[in-house]
Amino acid sequence: MKIEIQGLNKIYPNGNHALKDINLGFGYGMFGLLGPNGAGKSSLMRIIVTLMKPTSGRVLIDGKDIQKHRKELRSMLGYLPQDFRFFTSLKTWEFLDYSGALSGLRNRKERLAEVDRLLDQVGLLEVRDRQANRLSGGMKRRLGIAQALIGNPRIIVVDEPTTGLDPDERIRFRNILSQLSRQDVIIILSTHIVGDISSTCQGMALLNKGDLVFSGSPENLVRQAEGHVFRLHLTPYEYEKVKEQYNVISTIPVETGWEVQIVSDDPPVYDASAIVPNIEHAYVYYMEHKLRTSLID
Amino acid sequence: MDFLQNIGIVARYEAKTLRRSWFFRLFAVGALFIFTILNIGLFSPVGDESWEMISIPSAVPLVNLYLLNIAQALVVIFLAADFLKKLDTNEVLYTRSISNFEYVTGKTWGILRLFLGLDLLILGIGLLMNIISRNMSVNIMAYLWYLIIICVPTIIFSLGLAYMLMSVIRNQAITFMLLLGYAALNMFYLYHRAGSLFDYMAFGLPVFKSGVIGFDNPGMLVSQRLLYFSLGLALVMATILLFKRLPQSRFQRGLTIVLLVVFTVSSALCATDVYSNYKKKINDKNLVLETNRQYENRNFVSITEADIELSHKGLTLEASASLRIINDNREEIDTWLFSLNPSLSVSRITSGGSDLSFKRVNHVIEADPGKTLLPGHSDSLKIFYSGTINESFCFPDYTDNVKDNPYRIDMLNVSKRQAFLTEKYVLLTPEAHWYPVSGLNYYPSNPARIKIDFIDFTLKVKTSGNLTAVSQGNRVTENGYYRFKPGSPLTGLTLAIGNYLSDSIMVDSVEYISYYFPGNDYYKKDLAGLKDTLSLLVSGIMRELETNFSTKYPFSTLTLLEVPVQFYSYPRNNTQTRAEVQPSMVLVPEKLSTLRNAGFAKQFTRQKRRMARNNQIITDKELQVRLFNDFIRNTFISGENFRFVNGVAHNEPVRYRLGPSFYFFKNNFYSSEYPVINAVFESHLQKVEIPGRAPGMTPVFGGLSDNDKANLILKEYSFRELLAKNPGGDTIRTILAVKGDYLFNLFRAKAGIDEFKEWFLKYIDDNKFRRVDILQMNADMEQKFGFGFYPYLSDWFNGKELAGFLFTNLQATEIISGDRSRYLVSFTVSNPEPVPGLFNVSFRTGAGPGGMGPGGRQVIMTEMQGSRGGGFSISMQGRGMEASDISRIVFLGPEESRRINIVLDAQPRALLINTILSRNIPGEISLPVGDIPRSRERIREVREEEILPLIPEISDPSEIIVDNEDPGFTASRQVMESPLKRLLGVQDRNEQTYQQIRMMNAPEYWQPVVQSAYYGKYIRSAVYTRGGSGDRKVSWNAVIDKPGYYDIYTYTGKSGDRMMIRTGRAGGGGGPQGAPPAPPPPGGQGSQGDSPYKDMRFLIYHDEGVEEITLDYENAEGGWNNLGRYYLSPDSVKVELSNLSTGRIVIGDAVKWVLQE
Repeated sequence: MKIEIQGLNKIYPNGNHALKDINLGFGYGMFGLLGPNGAGKSSLMRIIVTLMKPTSGRVLIDGKDIQKHRKELRSMLGYLPQDFRFFTSLKTWEFLDYSGALSGLRNRKERLAEVDRLLDQVGLLEVRDRQANRLSGGMKRRLGIAQALIGNPRIIVVDEPTTGLDPDERIRFRNILSQLSRQDVIIILSTHIVGDISSTCQGMALLNKGDLVFSGSPENLVRQAEGHVFRLHLTPYEYEKVKEQYNVISTIPVETGWEVQIVSDDPPVYDASAIVPNIEHAYVYYMEHKLRTSLID
Repeated sequence: MDFLQNIGIVARYEAKTLRRSWFFRLFAVGALFIFTILNIGLFSPVGDESWEMISIPSAVPLVNLYLLNIAQALVVIFLAADFLKKLDTNEVLYTRSISNFEYVTGKTWGILRLFLGLDLLILGIGLLMNIISRNMSVNIMAYLWYLIIICVPTIIFSLGLAYMLMSVIRNQAITFMLLLGYAALNMFYLYHRAGSLFDYMAFGLPVFKSGVIGFDNPGMLVSQRLLYFSLGLALVMATILLFKRLPQSRFQRGLTIVLLVVFTVSSALCATDVYSNYKKKINDKNLVLETNRQYENRNFVSITEADIELSHKGLTLEASASLRIINDNREEIDTWLFSLNPSLSVSRITSGGSDLSFKRVNHVIEADPGKTLLPGHSDSLKIFYSGTINESFCFPDYTDNVKDNPYRIDMLNVSKRQAFLTEKYVLLTPEAHWYPVSGLNYYPSNPARIKIDFIDFTLKVKTSGNLTAVSQGNRVTENGYYRFKPGSPLTGLTLAIGNYLSDSIMVDSVEYISYYFPGNDYYKKDLAGLKDTLSLLVSGIMRELETNFSTKYPFSTLTLLEVPVQFYSYPRNNTQTRAEVQPSMVLVPEKLSTLRNAGFAKQFTRQKRRMARNNQIITDKELQVRLFNDFIRNTFISGENFRFVNGVAHNEPVRYRLGPSFYFFKNNFYSSEYPVINAVFESHLQKVEIPGRAPGMTPVFGGLSDNDKANLILKEYSFRELLAKNPGGDTIRTILAVKGDYLFNLFRAKAGIDEFKEWFLKYIDDNKFRRVDILQMNADMEQKFGFGFYPYLSDWFNGKELAGFLFTNLQATEIISGDRSRYLVSFTVSNPEPVPGLFNVSFRTGAGPGGMGPGGRQVIMTEMQGSRGGGFSISMQGRGMEASDISRIVFLGPEESRRINIVLDAQPRALLINTILSRNIPGEISLPVGDIPRSRERIREVREEEILPLIPEISDPSEIIVDNEDPGFTASRQVMESPLKRLLGVQDRNEQTYQQIRMMNAPEYWQPVVQSAYYGKYIRSAVYTRGGSGDRKVSWNAVIDKPGYYDIYTYTGKSGDRMMIRTGRAGGGGGPQGAPPAPPPPGGQGSQGDSPYKDMRFLIYHDEGVEEITLDYENAEGGWNNLGRYYLSPDSVKVELSNLSTGRIVIGDAVKWVLQE
């Protein structure tokens, strides 16, 4: 199964051009959408899950336009919105049961078994009879992912799933997605947290202010940053100067002053050593440095 | 069936979510609690079990769902308007594979089934009470029907409207406001308009289900409820189309559009049907009025014999009527006019073996006999006709509006039907003109006019199926026909066909027949002890009736015919007789459901228990006798088996009274010049109390009695002018009663009370079942008494001037002769007006009954049962066949004064005067007889009346009196109205001039009130207002021409308005100039609680300035109270009273300046 996005534009009634001529394609596995707040990630997601119509362009799933085949798409979809809320008066299992029934699990017995399996998978089996409004924030997100997973969806769309989660919950969440991505499903993960785009993402796209600025694998993104990330040891005076000249990724105070990581096309004049970039470095290199310099050029 | 499954899933979880919401939980728990209490209170053996509620079992589900539905309609609004609010919550569901149709429909079904579940629970409570009640049967289908009729359309429509508004407005607060506003508008404004077209809650819709015929108006009910059901669904469909979610199924979107069109068209058709029915009724009524207007001045023949043959053909009837007619007009007639229900079409008219040409103008048949019928000549004809009955014809001057003309059993609206013609049941009363009638049912230019024929009827009826036909007269069955032959001429014939059973009993040569529906003879069990004494009881009651009306019951049978509860007749202006009472027949409501006293079993238990508590011993049989007598008296004699809701009488008192049997169905006086004469005679002779307010209330609290209202109107218009104006029913009935009282008091004044009674009773007996021209009666009276009343009728009918009476110098003396005391009561009465008038006199005495001898009659005071004050009314004094409650009628010529002397055997306490038709307001005057000196002188020859040479001076020349009715009196007009009231145009002031005193919510302006205790020449009135800060004032202004010291007095009228006064002192006082002394508070006026009257601040303007004098109302004398002595120079003088008081009420009447020598 393959998702193709062709010439997608979204202009809101207030004139905000949220998506600008997006062209993208990806298949099974996890696909990450990265970008700062307001980049257009949620707009793209909402179009993909048929909550919204694009102004122009189309999204094809195996060649079928989703706007013309909404029923088909919705029957294979699991969606966890950025702001996941639910019926507070329903119990945990009831909410899943409701979602499951609507996702096509008609047999009550099978559905209830599936509900319990998923609750177990997301670690909520112990609170299956607890009303949803009495769950902790992490539990609620897990319930969200569980409802997105029920009915064996072939496309799972998760929008900013880790926002507000503590590190443990975030790791647990990533693991769940990671396991899922090994099956024949497409997972579209949208996030502004670079760490969420783990190595499990087979592909990713970088959005900025509605523009698709990068698409490819995370490795490609990282590769582009190789040789452009440096570690420097600076005196306070030097640090002030470096801050003005370069994109600083991290700053750690040391005895002699500061240990600073920066991105730069060329090695700085200071005592600098090139380091192996990670995806966070790559993101900063791309968003803060490359885009800025291309704009200046 | 994914489609249905998806709907079911959404519905299940929607219902679950709502069920767990606090709002719904609170509502449900509250409703369950309230309705449990309500059901226990109304229907259970430990509750009220009022007969109105329990007699017809469909009332149980109806009461429950009627009330619940109102609350539910409001709660649904809150829950449904939440529909689109939870967008984020629903977002994960919106990405699921369900269509918008499935989702919205599922939500709707979820809410609906939740509420229906609650409804079923509450119905279950009702059903439980229904089952355990010993006095009710169970009508299980009614539970289902009411759920479908009342609740489902209301909920669906409320949901659809809420969804729609939320979808369009997308603002929950505004949606709430609009929906709640609409609900309120429905309940307070729209429910009765356009034939219940806008009543989505079925708030005013008559849905009461008869236990005999079920719903009488299924077509209308279906249309009205389907209208809202369809409209609700159409709105749901529109919501689906407007739903802010991308649709996923083209088919279902198409289906939604199709359903939207279908439901919209369906609701439009239903609305059209409801509205066209409503319009049709109005048009039909207008057509009847127009036709009547066209024919009302034409001469009609009179029918003397009618031989009617009728076949019941399911929903139609086929009939022929052979009529014997006579021309009793003074002119010859060449066209025979009849009236027949407009839905009955005439196929043929024959006379003397040949066909007559005829034409039909709506309900009027114009037959052309081809010859002239001379006055006094007779002829015959036969009319063939068939068809149905148009009920709009029956009372063309009334609308069916449920607000203006409510017919309710407790809170439940009942449909008003005037006839039934169905396969299973038929009821045709003369008002439906189901046979040709000579005359019109309503005369638009004179609604009090009536044409009565006494007809020898013969009726042959063929029924369909095994149904029983019931009509007046002896019934025989021959050749599959029922044949009826009444024993005497009747004014009209009634036919009922149904599944009737009957019982009869012969008492004193009158056969009493009861026709009832199977299972509705519950009273036999409840009053089983009466079986062997029933004859005796019936005989006693009939004797009582005959004594009351001083004439024998004129028929050989009296049939009590049970009819469906929906049968209802409107009061008419041309007679006091309702269609529920027919000659020798009373149409009693199904299971006597509208009659409270008919719940014998409950009353028996309750009274038995009460008596046991009071250690009273009564046998079961004695108690049953008491219950039976109470019921019969309240229903058929006094006719006061009715209730007041917000001052409006429901189930009017005269619906079942047997009074018409003693005059209206027996006698008829007619006049071509004064066509109102029969209605006037009837009003007086049948002693009818005007319905519409609690009797005895207004005179006690300072309002206007019906007589007073009539006199105020008659000051402006003559009787003729008033009739031409076609006033409302209550007005015309009030005027008829007063005019009748005047006329008969005139007869009695001229002929002598006893002499007239003796003659008149024989006269009407000699002329029973005959029409008597009033000229003939005049001639007969002239021959008998040398007094012709006809010349008086011109002024009585056309005159506008009224006499006015001033009563002064009331004295009483006890004369002891041996061991016997007698009392001489004297008073002076003057009529300064240029027209003659009369009044009648009675006494309240301290002696026991029967204390009156020659010259005085025993007082019969009309005790008003069940009223809130226990007061009495003098306005009916001198009314009735015998008028045996009066001592004297005094006729006073223009500008004449007389001294009246009356000798009594019992000690008089008060002189009760009814001035009937006069300028006096109130016209009912009660003058207490004060100290009675003893005298041992023998009573000399006392002249009953002495004409005085001059009209005595009413006031002393040294006094200046300014009353609140005088030009010298001014009241501040300032009225502070709230902005909201101003905006809505709500006026505090009632259009009626004089109101009764409101103790609790006194007006914020000076409101005139009348009462005989107040000061006044003719109008004994005062003004009162709410006590406050002194912002409202009244002033009495006069001009004096002599300087000197003046004693200044204010008049304090104390009487019934002292309801709350703790230490009230009775009347006393009395004005020096003969102003009426205040009577003691009437019996029953309590002396408990806090007085609403306290300090009253008068400002006295005098030569040395202004002085404030405070009068303590509680300690003030009834009558004139001295405010002090002041020096006044010749000039304008003034006394002011403000509303500055610690009391709730301030009242002002008259001020007097008395020059001191």
